[in-house]
Amino acid sequence: MDFLANHIFTIIIFVAPLIYSIQPLLLSKINVINNAYDKDLLKRKKIILYRQIKELEMEFDIGNLNKDDFLLRRSEIKAEVSEIIASIKKK
Amino acid sequence: MTPVAGGVALNLALGCSVLSIITLIAYNRTLDHRLFLAGQRLGLAISFFVFISTFILGYQLFVSNFDIDYVARYTSYETPNIFKISALWAGQSGSLLFWLFILSIFNTVTIIQNQDRHLNLMPWVIITMSVIQLFFLILTNFITNPFEPTQADFVVQNGNGLNPLLQNITMAIHPPTLYLGYVGFSVPFAFAFSALVNKDIGALWIRSIRRWTLVSWLFLSIGIILGGWWAYQELGWGGYWAWDPVENASFMPWLTATAFLHSIIVQEKKDMLRVWNMVLIILTFSLCIFGTFLTRSGVMSSVHSFTESSLGPVFLSFVFIILASSFGLMFSRMTVLKSPRKIESVSSRESGFLFNNLIFVVMCFGVFWGTLFPVITEWFNGDKISVGPPFFNQINTPIGLALLALTGIGPMLAWKGTSNNKLIQNFALPIAFGLLGAIIFVFLGFTTYTIISFSLCIFVVIAISSEFIKGVKVRKSKFNETIFLSLYKMIEKNRSRYGGYIVHLGIVLMFVGFTGHAFDKEKEFGIQVGQIESVANYNFQLTRMYEEERPNHYAWITDLRVSDAAGNFITSLRPEKRVYFHKNPDINKRQPHSELDIYSTMNKDIYSIFSSVSSDNSIAFIKIMINPLVKWVWIGGYILAFGTLIALWPRKD
Repeated sequence: MDFLANHIFTIIIFVAPLIYSIQPLLLSKINVINNAYDKDLLKRKKIILYRQIKELEMEFDIGNLNKDDFLLRRSEIKAEVSEIIASIKKK
Repeated sequence: MTPVAGGVALNLALGCSVLSIITLIAYNRTLDHRLFLAGQRLGLAISFFVFISTFILGYQLFVSNFDIDYVARYTSYETPNIFKISALWAGQSGSLLFWLFILSIFNTVTIIQNQDRHLNLMPWVIITMSVIQLFFLILTNFITNPFEPTQADFVVQNGNGLNPLLQNITMAIHPPTLYLGYVGFSVPFAFAFSALVNKDIGALWIRSIRRWTLVSWLFLSIGIILGGWWAYQELGWGGYWAWDPVENASFMPWLTATAFLHSIIVQEKKDMLRVWNMVLIILTFSLCIFGTFLTRSGVMSSVHSFTESSLGPVFLSFVFIILASSFGLMFSRMTVLKSPRKIESVSSRESGFLFNNLIFVVMCFGVFWGTLFPVITEWFNGDKISVGPPFFNQINTPIGLALLALTGIGPMLAWKGTSNNKLIQNFALPIAFGLLGAIIFVFLGFTTYTIISFSLCIFVVIAISSEFIKGVKVRKSKFNETIFLSLYKMIEKNRSRYGGYIVHLGIVLMFVGFTGHAFDKEKEFGIQVGQIESVANYNFQLTRMYEEERPNHYAWITDLRVSDAAGNFITSLRPEKRVYFHKNPDINKRQPHSELDIYSTMNKDIYSIFSSVSSDNSIAFIKIMINPLVKWVWIGGYILAFGTLIALWPRKD
């Protein structure tokens, strides 16, 4: 008993993380809703593509991109964004 | 808590890492989300137990518990408190635990940051990081345990104390910074490995690790610069880079990481160089582990050989496992990795990036070969050969100058291809200024390499400045803003691009500092009180020489009055000769050390070293070095860090 009283703090520090770690295994089966995750992922992709359009415009404005390449890349990204927006709406 | 608790925490961390790997592999087979959650939490538990054991060792060092062998070896009662803490990474077992500690911080941040993101990548990210932790846990549990008790049959009254070379504030910061860089690359590597396993090779994983790569690169850069600063301040040979194997060990991953930072831009923007990016991140992480091996194995003699051990084969095996598994996996995914696009023109920005990458890798190979050649030769025929600075300078000076040129050329090239008119328009002004500089330097009688280097510095500064000016002009006309607002908005909206350009400017300033080395002058002499010696138009008069007893050392101090040729006073320098651990009755355990003094200005440093004193204390042997432009290396370092911080600064979406 004395040992327990003297080392209770240490025991808690060592045992608590282990209980915390294995706790999910004691639950009944978890069903993950992938929908929310997928939607979040799509939104992030959309933001990245918007950023890419802005960067592309800047590159073109300062002359680091020729007109054909700029128009082609912009239309490609725009098409990709449209697809993503459509997928987000579906979800 | 007792030292035993530290050992127990390490045991538990080892157990958790094994369980985490098993649980997450089981998750990948069953897709039972409970297993994923448990694996994630076990990953956090590994880190928690590593934190506990590191804090326990830190506390034992702080309270000087000499019952622990590590504490007795690297501290003493006289060691100042700040250096008792830095003793944590002074020895082998402590530094490996410290490596693990930093890895655990990154592991925790990665898991928490991605709790609801990258659900497809995260299981393998955690597995990869747990495997790396497992390796270091095996080392610290079974091979070099920092909690080993002292092997003495008497009560240890006092410890050995910390090596005097390490009792410097820079040395208290340099290793952790370098480790943050080394260890930081484990995160991008883990994401890359996971992307390969999951065949999720698109630009999204690149985006998600870009910030981690930049943070690690920043720490590695600062660590290398601080190492140079420490060598310059502490080692007393007047330089900051000696191509020492351990310096090279940190420089090699820096080279491949810099190449990686550039080539991921191409993958982000053009979806090219997918395979190349994988190769670079695998090489960078492997070189980080290899660097730790070089530092800790004692396989090479170095100014960093504070410890020697038999860890070499274990580390080499781990590097081999990383390379074999990563490249094996990469080759099995080659069909998915192949990029649909190709480089269309030599004068395009993507080919500029590719050239820059190739040069970085060639430089890395040169440094790798020069570093390992003596070891390989010794293995094969037993001959001890040393490859010194002349070899590295001869190889790397032209390569470095080519890289410097690309620092200016790259930003002026357009994506996909640059028309001839555009090439002339962009390059005319920088080339004109560079040539004008070259003509002036020829008239000043500079050497060939010096002329090329300074002219290229001018070329790059003009090239980068014109990029800023072009951007400001566009914004100004488009949004009708003032120049300063345009400049601010332009940087704010394109942080990675203009942050990168600022980093390039920092590199240019560092090159100015490196080139200044060509003008170094030095003289060594014996001098008595009252006498005057001249070095490069400066007079040095010894006005006083005295002794002082301090808490952990004994010091002989010289007072040197420095004046110019006309006799005008410039400064006083006080280089010292110290003997550490003076309280130890064993004379062999006393550690002599020269504490130098530097007078630093923008155009030159006056560097003084008190080498020794005659037996009758009448003559001081002094070495004076005049080192031009050294300060620009450190200023360049600040600008490099500033530019990286701009590139890193998060933006509002």
